[in-house]
Amino acid sequence: MGTARSVGVALEQAVPAASHEAALVAELRAGSEEAFSYLLTVYQNPVFNLIARIVFNDRDAPDVLQEVFIKVFRGIRHFHGECSLKTWIYRIAVHEASNHRRSWLRRRMREAFSLEDDGVFPEAILARAPDQPETPYEVLEVSERQEAVQRALASLAQPYRAVVVLREIEGLSYEEIAQVLEVSEGTVKSRLMRGRELLKRKLQGCLRK
Amino acid sequence: MFESCMKIRHQFSDYLDDRCGHEERRSIRFHLDHCASCREDLEQMQAIQAELRGLPRPQVPSGLGLQMRVRLSQRTHRRLFSEWRIRFENALRPFLLPASGGVLTAVIFFGLIMGTSFVPATTFPDVPISIVTPARLKELPPINLGDDDQAHVLLIQVDAAGRAVSYKTLSGQVSPQLTHRLDMVIYFSTFDPATTFGRPTGGQVVLSLRRITVRG
Repeated sequence: MGTARSVGVALEQAVPAASHEAALVAELRAGSEEAFSYLLTVYQNPVFNLIARIVFNDRDAPDVLQEVFIKVFRGIRHFHGECSLKTWIYRIAVHEASNHRRSWLRRRMREAFSLEDDGVFPEAILARAPDQPETPYEVLEVSERQEAVQRALASLAQPYRAVVVLREIEGLSYEEIAQVLEVSEGTVKSRLMRGRELLKRKLQGCLRK
Repeated sequence: MFESCMKIRHQFSDYLDDRCGHEERRSIRFHLDHCASCREDLEQMQAIQAELRGLPRPQVPSGLGLQMRVRLSQRTHRRLFSEWRIRFENALRPFLLPASGGVLTAVIFFGLIMGTSFVPATTFPDVPISIVTPARLKELPPINLGDDDQAHVLLIQVDAAGRAVSYKTLSGQVSPQLTHRLDMVIYFSTFDPATTFGRPTGGQVVLSLRRITVRG
């Protein structure tokens, strides 16, 4: 739990305050490359994390991330501040990742594939957790558990997975999730409840040995 | 009497997100104190929540940030010109085929018309029609100036038909006998009339007469 909280605090500090957001948006609209560099610095990691959790083949996440920021840069003129910049960028990311996932699945439907091979991030791309276990046995145990959780998360249907990722991993509020997914808060609540229930069933016996 | 486990478990998601009211939270806690099955169920959900929050965060591959900055920079500088060029091309494209067809048709018809209405070359000498030409002396009859050696300069008015209308002496002294001879000479002289854009018109001719003695 300590790890999760420290990540959440770090992200909150990185995201620009609402008062600065208007100035940032104005700079972006003017085509400032410095403003875009700042935007990338702040948002590229959380958005990449979100995309990597939604797309089925994580190797495509960098391409999707590029597309997302291209769309952000092109569409910033149409952003009128109905929601926060963060919510708006996340919305684009979720749409882009979902579209990519759908097209990827259509392509893969023609081929034989195994769920065991996908949805698990390669070691090189994963950041090491701060509270890394010490003994080799603990390392193996944590690794297997995380792998199981990621597989279970990847196997969730898209609506549930998106809500779970936005809430549990990205730490968004119900209101923000509703804005990102363009659904009501009630829908967010029911999808989150259902997603958690499904995860619990999939991981039954795996977490408590 | 306890609420049913199903109803309590239905509230676990809100409980985890701290979205329950004070009474609901108290009711859930009371139930959990007396129901081991629901307590275990909630603990599992809390464990999953902790695992999800503790998952390693995928890192953006090194170089991707720079790649995106370069790509954006290229787009920024390219789009101003390319967008307008594309718009211009798109605007012209509907007219391209009709305009090409029209020009081609015009060339073909022009060629056909010019081929059928061929103008043969004239056998007459060209008439200067685009300039103003002065009147000129065409034919001068013989004249005897007598013993007068001085030169006589005459200004002759010529009409559009090429006939002398009047004249006056600009230099030289003229005796009555010489005046009579000059009248006869000018009367029988012929002139090419002056022309303006090919049309004959009145004009003036300056004529200088002098006696020439040839010995032999």
